[in-house]
Amino acid sequence: MSLLADVTEERRDDVVVAAVEGEIDASNAREIGERLRRLLSNHDTLLVVDLAATSYLDSAGVNLLFELSNELAARQQRLRLVVPAGSPLLRIFTIAGLVEVVPTHATRDGALAQTA
Amino acid sequence: MIAGMSYPSASGEEVPTVDRERLQALQRITDAALASLSVEQLLQELLIRVSEVLGTHTAAILLLDETGSMLHARAAKGIEEEVEQGVKIPVGAGFAGRIAARRRAIAIEDVDHADILNPILREKGIRSLLGVPLVVEQRVLGVLHVGSLVHRVFTDVDRDLLQLAADRAAIAIEHATLYEQRRLAEVLQRRLLPTELTVTGGLELASRYLPASRESLGGDWYDAFTLGSGHVAVAIGDVVGHGVVAAAAMAQLRTALRAYAVEGHAPATVVELVNRLMTGLGPNAMTTLAYAVIDPERGTLELVTAGHPPPLLIRGDGTTFLDGVAGIPLGVSDVARYDSHTFPFEPGTMLLLYTDGLVERRSEPIDRGLERLAALAAGNDDAEILCRKLVAELVSGERLDDVALLAARLEPVPERLSGRWPADRRVLAGVRRLLRRWLEKVGASADEVYDIVVACQEACANAVEHAYRPGRHWFELDASYDQGRVRVTIRDEGRWRPPRGSHRGRGVMMMRGLMDSVDIQHTDSGTTVVLERILAPESA
Repeated sequence: MSLLADVTEERRDDVVVAAVEGEIDASNAREIGERLRRLLSNHDTLLVVDLAATSYLDSAGVNLLFELSNELAARQQRLRLVVPAGSPLLRIFTIAGLVEVVPTHATRDGALAQTA
Repeated sequence: MIAGMSYPSASGEEVPTVDRERLQALQRITDAALASLSVEQLLQELLIRVSEVLGTHTAAILLLDETGSMLHARAAKGIEEEVEQGVKIPVGAGFAGRIAARRRAIAIEDVDHADILNPILREKGIRSLLGVPLVVEQRVLGVLHVGSLVHRVFTDVDRDLLQLAADRAAIAIEHATLYEQRRLAEVLQRRLLPTELTVTGGLELASRYLPASRESLGGDWYDAFTLGSGHVAVAIGDVVGHGVVAAAAMAQLRTALRAYAVEGHAPATVVELVNRLMTGLGPNAMTTLAYAVIDPERGTLELVTAGHPPPLLIRGDGTTFLDGVAGIPLGVSDVARYDSHTFPFEPGTMLLLYTDGLVERRSEPIDRGLERLAALAAGNDDAEILCRKLVAELVSGERLDDVALLAARLEPVPERLSGRWPADRRVLAGVRRLLRRWLEKVGASADEVYDIVVACQEACANAVEHAYRPGRHWFELDASYDQGRVRVTIRDEGRWRPPRGSHRGRGVMMMRGLMDSVDIQHTDSGTTVVLERILAPESA
């Protein structure tokens, strides 16, 4: 387990919600990526990564989310992010152009509402 | 039926009838040359000399185990199978067992008709036996016996001579065993205590461990480690008792504490879990503990103690004992509850954890020791110097108890931040926290702190990734603030590698997006990145 961050998982039918609590940097991004990938089975259609409790994320985390988005798209699966309004992560994602590629929602309910 | 005779122990008595030559030969058993031998070598050498002097075919030494109820064959001459097969004889039974139980010599003229437990003695064709107890200060250490392959009547002189050899041997065995235990214990203790306290995040650490003068080792220990949250855990403890048993309990305790702490449990829960584990280890695992988690960013200290003397806070000329937190020692009750208390721990404050050996003196209430400690500690602002001073002033050369101390000082945030770190991904989090504290001090807003930290981490991460060549590499960070402008320089020794793959270059792009100016210089000796950001007026 990473000392900097922890991942907790919640399932709803074919949707997986993964909350990342803590910090993602170059020292643990790869490991967090592996943990997120392991949560998904072939039957799942949507992965929601909840970053509300993520206190730090830099380009290592941005790179991870870009990779994850590409991998999921190739398997007909979707990725959505939860980033609360006013979170500094939103600025980082905007600068990096991630918001244009991955749908980002202010709340978990928002990310799940459009699944139907 | 026992075909033998018993003699009262001749321990300590004169042996007037022994001829001079045999006595001299025997005295060599304890000469200086033996002193440098290991226990095994010593026993072997002893048996050779005893056999020569007494003219016997076999000789063997059995020593009592830690429980005191079983004799183990430790060395043998002529009947080496005893040791090879790990012969064990219960005290009170058989030839050797009876010698140990009765603490007196026993001679057996005819083995065939005697109560002998150990089949090896018979199988080897031993006809007659003579054995004596090994006694030191009224304590039985074991049994020394000799055997003859031909029928022999051991005389009183033989018996006295063997007892004399046994008495001297017992002292040598006792010394050699203690020495070996001490050496083993010292190595063990050195391995158990952290060799280097390296904790980043603006915390300065220093520690000392001094074993008691006459004990092999004590159960005092300390530890310091970072938790993923950026918090730093410090702990000190005192396992009741001494020697290898205490050291083993200490090792288990220290490992358990780290494991539970790293799992992310709250400090009081960590202590409760450790307590439950220690209670399960049995009656010898009682220990005191002080466990504190320092949050350098918030400037707080969360403390849990279990039967341990109160930690001391030192700030400027003032000192405060953190008492009123006490729980009962660990290992006493598996339902014991522990509470944590949070104290302010501002930059410049020092926490001192210590064990009772530092403050306790005979014929003096402990309050006097605590007063003396507080008076010496007041006004100190350097962890290493404080440890040196306390050891010099409070710890005497002839210590009855072992002493451990651990000092942790939260360094004040400097005007200008500068430091050098190994080019290793694992240091990034610590650098981040240091930078955050500094940015808050110069008045950056929460959003500015976040942006600048991310930009700096990009440069630091680049430095780490460039250091692919073998050998240890470093990077430097220097941050200054002048009239609303934050300027951070990150320098590394690595050669710049052009961005590769789809992600490379995103770091540079993000630096440019987050800062007002980004300047990257590559030379043969390394890369220098200078980042600048002007803070918004209302926050400056």
